[in-house]
Amino acid sequence: MPLTPLSRKLTPEDAAHLLRRTAFGATDAQIRALVGREAREVARDLLSFGNETAPGNPFDPAQAARPGAGAQLVRGAWLYELLYGPHPLRERLALTWSNHFVIGTDKVRNVPMLTGYLALLRRHAASDNFAAFTLDVARHPAMLRYLDNDQNRKGKPNENFSRELLELFTTGLGTPGRPNYSEEDVREGARALTGWTFEGGRGNDRFLEEPRFVFRPGQHDAGRKAYLGRAGNLGGEDVVRLAATHPQTALFVARKLHRAFVADTPDEAAVAGSAETFRRTNGSVRAVLEELLASEAFYARRAAIIRSPVEFIVGAVRTLGQPRLEAKQILNLAQTAGRLGQLLLEPDTVKGWDGGREWINDSTLLGRMQVAAALTLGGTAPALREQPTPLALLGQERSPLQGALGGLSPKQRTYLTLISPEFQLA
Amino acid sequence: MTLDRRDFLKYSALAVAATSGMPGFLARAATQPGGASGKTLVVVQLTGGNDGLNTLVPYSNGAYYAARPNIAIPKKDVLTLTPDLGMHPALKPLTGLWDAGHLAWMENVGYPNPTRSHFASMAIWHTADPTQAQAEGWIGRIAEQIGDPFCASNLGGVAPQALRASEFSLPSIDSVDSFQVKLPAGLEGAFGQMLGAPRTGEAAYLGEATRRMLANTGAVQKNVSKYKAGAKYPGGRFASQLRDAARLIAAGTGQRVLYVSLGGFDTHAGQRAEQDELLAQLASGLAAFQADLEAQGLADRVLVMGFSEFGRRVAENASAGTDHGQGSVMFALGQGVRGGVHGSSPDLEDLADGDIKYRQDFRGVYAGALTGWLGLDAREILRGDFAGPPWLA
Repeated sequence: MPLTPLSRKLTPEDAAHLLRRTAFGATDAQIRALVGREAREVARDLLSFGNETAPGNPFDPAQAARPGAGAQLVRGAWLYELLYGPHPLRERLALTWSNHFVIGTDKVRNVPMLTGYLALLRRHAASDNFAAFTLDVARHPAMLRYLDNDQNRKGKPNENFSRELLELFTTGLGTPGRPNYSEEDVREGARALTGWTFEGGRGNDRFLEEPRFVFRPGQHDAGRKAYLGRAGNLGGEDVVRLAATHPQTALFVARKLHRAFVADTPDEAAVAGSAETFRRTNGSVRAVLEELLASEAFYARRAAIIRSPVEFIVGAVRTLGQPRLEAKQILNLAQTAGRLGQLLLEPDTVKGWDGGREWINDSTLLGRMQVAAALTLGGTAPALREQPTPLALLGQERSPLQGALGGLSPKQRTYLTLISPEFQLA
Repeated sequence: MTLDRRDFLKYSALAVAATSGMPGFLARAATQPGGASGKTLVVVQLTGGNDGLNTLVPYSNGAYYAARPNIAIPKKDVLTLTPDLGMHPALKPLTGLWDAGHLAWMENVGYPNPTRSHFASMAIWHTADPTQAQAEGWIGRIAEQIGDPFCASNLGGVAPQALRASEFSLPSIDSVDSFQVKLPAGLEGAFGQMLGAPRTGEAAYLGEATRRMLANTGAVQKNVSKYKAGAKYPGGRFASQLRDAARLIAAGTGQRVLYVSLGGFDTHAGQRAEQDELLAQLASGLAAFQADLEAQGLADRVLVMGFSEFGRRVAENASAGTDHGQGSVMFALGQGVRGGVHGSSPDLEDLADGDIKYRQDFRGVYAGALTGWLGLDAREILRGDFAGPPWLA
């Protein structure tokens, strides 16, 4: 079922909606610059990001004195890019993939592993080939370490990566009555993935040393295996390709993309449309997104995503016109995002953050109020060149909160708007 | 701007009634005083699949040592409980509770058609539904049966699915100290008006969650200053959450169920170091919590019940770790438990696909806590009749 393209040219509220989803939010001027343009053309432009990064990033993880500080600096550097980088959609996608191909700083403490992994997620952010993306992930030392495949040897398999490859990265479990794979597939996959490991960078005192992938033929089980309905002397590449090109993977990945860009509870017919595009293009994430971000379905679902802590923080700063924050404030914000439930590169489990209503509870609502106060009313609140408009803050030209907020100072209005349900949705 | 709990219930009942008709649980709440028994259940979740065989160790069983040449707990290190079973040495802080008859182990607990997925398995324990058809959790259903959304709280960042009800999720308290609203002066009226704007969809959900947060923080802060710790807690997040649990109980904030989690049990490699450290955190935290309750004179009112989503494979893997398995041990402690080992140990020579075959359905253990401790209708909450071992005194 194809996704019907949006037929009208973008209105101010359409443009605000698009930038809330793809750029964490934007200023009034950035929104109005898109008005009157074709949705397809804008989507293509947004997706044609390059490698440029924000100038003047104050964080250099290679300067870290200890592994823990290294992880903090990687988070700080990433948050800086999220806040000030020229390609917010690339970062938005890297964030989405970090929540799909999960690794965690609880286990991965090597700085080049973390920065290299993040670079990999950016490089493949709008991947034209999901199977190639998955293979790069599977062979990356950060993943080999996080899910123990570096310890997976012939005759003595370690199933951790093989299981999560299917359950979380490609096909998904399926439904209880109709699983997408069997326990046999997990075991055979683990055999095929034996011998993939890395050299260098092990141990706390080598946290700045660059590790590299190696294949050890002596530890590889070269025997015959059966996996997802195929049989033969399958190796790691074969297993990853079979999983990543499995028909159910298209649906699983399409649903993830809809959850990231369309709605916390996506429409399954629209998901099926994207899955069809994914299959037709041999796993092109770019093609899926280009079609999706120009569709009626995308523009029809407003205020359907609860912003994650990082989206909330980055969205607030970008909506306020990217005021400069001190390096220390940025590190604090990275920690605060963690207290609100989203510490960059450290989800609670390998499944990542579920998102949606899971982001919201008493403690996180309190924390969001504190962030909003710090950015608007507090002693160290950044000075703004101009106050954000309702279009920038709420995606609507006429604020639905006008009645409640009349008579307040601009800072107070901005504060109460940032903690309103309307701002917290995208 | 603080509402007390009764105001809140009245208020949210009205708010819900105005949009969708008043659900039964809120209608009951309006007429029924809650928390009559004064008893609290503390649920402890061990996230990641705790290895039950290295927790309650079958130290007389040769098959155990044969399957785990590198990671088995040597017989000499086991804290002997029975002629066949003993505890992992890191659980030493709990031996006093065992000796006093206040520690129970439930052997061989699981559920039908086990899955080795962390997430599917955890969802089964949370919903008490092996078919995974339900979205709300078993503790969320307790809140609906009691008729008070404040009757159960999570301690920690994100409330687990167990605390989800059909219309709301229950409070999650990251830390009692920071659990308060500090609105800048002069904004109360505008804040109230902003929250009161009519909304639909997710915006309505967020508005309602914010109102509920105001009521919950108000209820907690009204009482907690009364507490002085009666024991020294070890460092770390798990212990500080147990301390917050003791604080809420001592303050009489009214929760019947409190929920804490300890993560990191997914020990695929180098298990001994990882699990040893986690079990030490678990035991030292729980021992301090019990000592605190004793000192406060509250120990007879609190019962702890712990679980993990599954155990590990019987045989170790080549990385001195274990892969996902089925069935594991549960534990319970407090003056209200019948100390001892309940149920029979798994047969390590008759395995299903390398895993133990579980014999006790976890819902039977839940049923004990629901009926015997909280005085609730377990049948309604668990949606069926489940019998468990007699683990309550």
